Amino acid sequence: MTNKEERDNHRPSINPVLAHLEAIATGIKWLTRKPMTLMYPDMEEKKPEYFRGFIIFNYNKCIGCSLCAQICPPRAIHMYRVPGDKRIRPGYDAGRCIHCGLCTDICPTDALDVSPVHDEVFEQIGSMDFDPVEWHIISKKLVEEHAKRKRKLVITRVDEEVGLRYEPVE
Amino acid sequence: MVLVELAKILHVPVWALRGFLAPLVYPGLAVLLGTVLFLIWAERKMAARVQQRVGPYYVSPKLHGALQLIADGARFALQEIIVHIETDRLMFILGPILTFTFLTLPFTVLPGGPGIYGFRSDFSMVIVYALLTLSPITVILMGWASSNKFAMIGGGREALLTVSGEITLALAMLSVAAMYGTLDFVTAVEKQMHTGIIGLVSNPIAALLFFLAMLLLTDRVPFDIVLGEQEIVQGPYTEYSGVLYALTMAIDYVKLYALSLAFTLLFLGGWAPFTTPLLGAISVYIKSLIVMLFSVFLRAVYGRMKLDQAMNFFWARLFPLGFVALALGVFVHVIYA
Amino acid sequence: MIGRELGQRDGYRVVELYIGPQHPASGHMRLVVYLDGDIIVRVDPDIGYVHRTMEKLSEIREYVRVISLIERMTIIDSCNITLPFVEAVEKLLGIEAPPRAKYLRTILCEINRISSHLYGLGIGGIFLNHSTMFMWGFGDREVFVHLASLLTGARLTHTYNIFGGVRRDLPQGFKDEFLKAKRYMLRKLKDYDKMFFNNPVIRGRLENVGVLPKDKAIAYGITGPNLRASGVRYDARLLGYAAYSELDFEPVVGKYGDGLERVWVRLREIEMSLDLIEQALKQLPDGPIFHERYAKMVPPAMKKWFEKGRVKLPGGYVRLRPRKGEIFSRGEMGHGEVTYYLVSDGGMMPYRLRIVTPSARNAIMFSILPPGNTLMDLPAIYGSMDYFPPEADR
Ligand code: SF4
Ligand code: SF4
Repeated sequence: MTNKEERDNHRPSINPVLAHLEAIATGIKWLTRKPMTLMYPDMEEKKPEYFRGFIIFNYNKCIGCSLCAQICPPRAIHMYRVPGDKRIRPGYDAGRCIHCGLCTDICPTDALDVSPVHDEVFEQIGSMDFDPVEWHIISKKLVEEHAKRKRKLVITRVDEEVGLRYEPVE
Repeated sequence: MVLVELAKILHVPVWALRGFLAPLVYPGLAVLLGTVLFLIWAERKMAARVQQRVGPYYVSPKLHGALQLIADGARFALQEIIVHIETDRLMFILGPILTFTFLTLPFTVLPGGPGIYGFRSDFSMVIVYALLTLSPITVILMGWASSNKFAMIGGGREALLTVSGEITLALAMLSVAAMYGTLDFVTAVEKQMHTGIIGLVSNPIAALLFFLAMLLLTDRVPFDIVLGEQEIVQGPYTEYSGVLYALTMAIDYVKLYALSLAFTLLFLGGWAPFTTPLLGAISVYIKSLIVMLFSVFLRAVYGRMKLDQAMNFFWARLFPLGFVALALGVFVHVIYA
Repeated sequence: MIGRELGQRDGYRVVELYIGPQHPASGHMRLVVYLDGDIIVRVDPDIGYVHRTMEKLSEIREYVRVISLIERMTIIDSCNITLPFVEAVEKLLGIEAPPRAKYLRTILCEINRISSHLYGLGIGGIFLNHSTMFMWGFGDREVFVHLASLLTGARLTHTYNIFGGVRRDLPQGFKDEFLKAKRYMLRKLKDYDKMFFNNPVIRGRLENVGVLPKDKAIAYGITGPNLRASGVRYDARLLGYAAYSELDFEPVVGKYGDGLERVWVRLREIEMSLDLIEQALKQLPDGPIFHERYAKMVPPAMKKWFEKGRVKLPGGYVRLRPRKGEIFSRGEMGHGEVTYYLVSDGGMMPYRLRIVTPSARNAIMFSILPPGNTLMDLPAIYGSMDYFPPEADR
C-alpha cells in the first residue's frame, strides 16, 4: 500500500515532452505483446469446476419435492404432471433461467446439477421450454454432445506478462 | 521511356497522358484506394495489438482480416442512403462527393517519383495547399446542410480548427520554400538530393509543425475534435449513411495520404536515394506509408485533446514556432547558397 | 433553421442539446444540455430509462430469491451490492456467518471492486476517446472476472453470499492465480499511469475539470470514490462489516476533487484492493463456510458436498422467516455506498425494501459539475464519475 506522504503529492506535474515520449514508448512496447483474446468459436475454454451453465436434470433421481421450483428466482422451473407418474416433476424454461444454480443447491437428491454447457443455440423461443421428460432427454443429449465437441479445448490461466493465457488441454 | 511509347501508341500527347495517369493511377486514385484500405486495416490491427486484442480477423482468417474493409465497403454500398426531410438536399448529397473530388485534385501536381507527375509547375506547393484548403469549406457546408445540431457544431469546429491548422501548415511549407528557394516539389527534392541533407535534418522545426498540422487537418487522434464521437456523434458527418458515409470516412484518409506524400517530398528527401522512376516511386510510397502508419498509430496512444487547448497549442505555441522555422529556413538557405 | 434552435433560458441565448438515450456516449439515460456558445449553462439529467422496479419486485419474492434479483442492479459489482442485504437479513434471522465465509465474502467483494473500477476507468477512457484505456480496462477486468468465476462458478452474477455464509469454498490453486494476477496488475498500473494518467492530453482533459469542492460534495451527498476524491475520509468499509474489521487498510483520500483526482482515487483503490485480498488470503481462517443451523438441516446424503467445498441448502431455506423488525445496513460498492432499509413483518418476503444505490446519489453531479465547462468537458466529467445508469434507475 502506498504510504501517506506518497499519496499527498500524488499528482506530480509532468514534463510534457517526456510524458509524450513515454506514452508513445509504452504504446510501442505493447505493440509487441501477444493479445489476450480467447478465439472463442475456434477454441473453447474449459470451464472451472461447478461452472453454472445449462441445468441438467435426472428424472430418475427426482423425488418430486418441488423445492427447485420454489427457490428458482425467475420461476424458470415449473412443476408438471406427467402422465403415468403419480408425482409432480419439474420442467425447465431455459430462456428464463439466470444460471444462479440455487436449484441444484437445494435439490435433496442431486437430480439437478450444473453443467458447463453455456452456448447451446435454440432457434425458437418455444423450443427452450422443456417439460420434465424433454428436460431429461435434452440434458443427456447436451452433456454427451459437449463431451464430443471437436473444438480445441483450452484452459485459462493468469499470466504475469499479458494477463491471461490459454493452455491447451488433452 | 514507357510513357512516351505509350503516348505514341495511343496517339495522344505525352503531357495529356501524364495529366491523366497521375491523378488516376499513381499517386492518384488507384493507389490511393488501395492505400486507404490498407491503412484502415493497419490502423485497426495496430490499435488492437496495443490493446491486447486481435482486431479484424474472421472476414479472412488467412489474411488476418485484411478483407474486412472490403466487406465493410460492400455493406456501405448496399445500404440505403437516408436523406432526412429537413436537409438541404442538394448540398447534403453533393457535400461528400465534392469534398472527395477536391481532395483528389492535388495528385495532378504532387509528384510520386522522379518524372511521375501530372503537371510540373513552379508553384506546385501553392497549388497543393490551395486545393487542400478547399475541402473544409464543403465540410462546413455538409454540417450546415445536415440540419442537425451535432453536425452544426461539428462544422463550427471544423472551421475553427482548419484556420489554425492551415496557418501552421502554410508556415511550415513557407519555411521549406525559403530553405530550398523554390515552390516546386520536384526542385525541392532535387535540392535535397543535391545537398544530401534531408529536410527533416536541416529544418526539424518545420517538419514537426508540418506533421502536427497534418494530424489536425486530417482529424487524427489526438486532434479528432471535429469528429468528437463522445460529444457530437460524428461531427459534420452525423447524418450520413451508406456510400456517402463511406466517402466522408475516406476524406480524412485521402487528405492524410496527400499530406504524407508532401511530407515525404519536403522532409524525407522524396525519391532519394534512387533516380529511376520505378525505384524512386517505390521509395516515395514506402516513406509516406511509414509517415501514415505512424500517424494512425497515435490513435492507440492518445485520447482527444480539448478544443480550447488544441487551439491554444496551435496559436500560442506552434504559430510563433512557425516564425522560428521560417527564420531557420532562411538561415539554411543562406548556408546552402 | 438555426433560428429555431435559439431560445432564451435564464437570460441566456442558448441551444438545447439532447444527448442520449441514443448517443455514443450517453449510456441508458439522457442529458439535456443547454449551451451558450460552447459553454454549458445547465444540464438536466433525465434518468429512468432502465427502471425495473427492483424495490417492488423484491416485495413479492422470498428472501433467498431477492438476492439474485438485486444483484441485477449492478451486475458488474454483484457481490458488493448483495452483501449488505444479506447481512441485514442475517441480523434479523439472528445468525452470523462463520469467519471463513466472512473472509471469502471480503475476497470476492474486493475482486468485484477491482473489476468495477476497471470498468469505470475503461468507460472513462473511451469518453475521452482513449481507446487503449478502454480496451485495457475491459481486458484486465477479464483477469478478475476469471478469478471470480474460479471462486463462484459464474462470471458476473455470482449469487455468492447467501444467508448464513457463502456458496463455495476457496478452490485449489486460487491463491497462486491471484498472486500472479496481482503482480500483473501492479505492473500494468504503471503502464496505466504512463499511457493514461500522465498522458499530457488526458491531463489536459481532466485537470481542473468538474471540480467538486469538499463542502459541496458533502452537502449533495455524493458518495464513493467521488467523495473521497474531494478529500473526505469516508468509506463504508471502515464500519467493519464482513472481515474488514480484521484487515488493515486506509481509504484512499484525494484532495482536489477534479476529474483527474477521481481517476487517481480509482487507480489507487485497485492497488488497495489487491493488497486487501492478499491480506485476506493470508489470514483466511479454517472452518465451515455455512452456518451450523442450516448445515444441520441438509439431508445426510447431501453432506458429502460440504467436503467438496460446495454448499447444499436445506429444504426450509426458501421459507425463511426473519423476525419482525426494521433494519438499516450499508456497504461500500465500487461506485460508492449502497444502503438498504429492510422492513420485515415476519413473513417470508420483505414487507418493504428501500434501496439507495451509489449511482442514484451521484446522479446529482450531472447537474452541479458541468455548468461553466465547455461541451467537450461533459464526457470527461461523465467518464470521471463512473456513473452506472442501470444501478441508478434500479
Ligand atoms: S439455475 Fe437458478 S434460474 Fe436456473 S433453474 Fe436453477 S434456480 Fe432457476
Ligand atoms: S428439487 Fe430435485 S428432487 Fe425436488 S423436485 Fe426438484 S429436481 Fe426433483
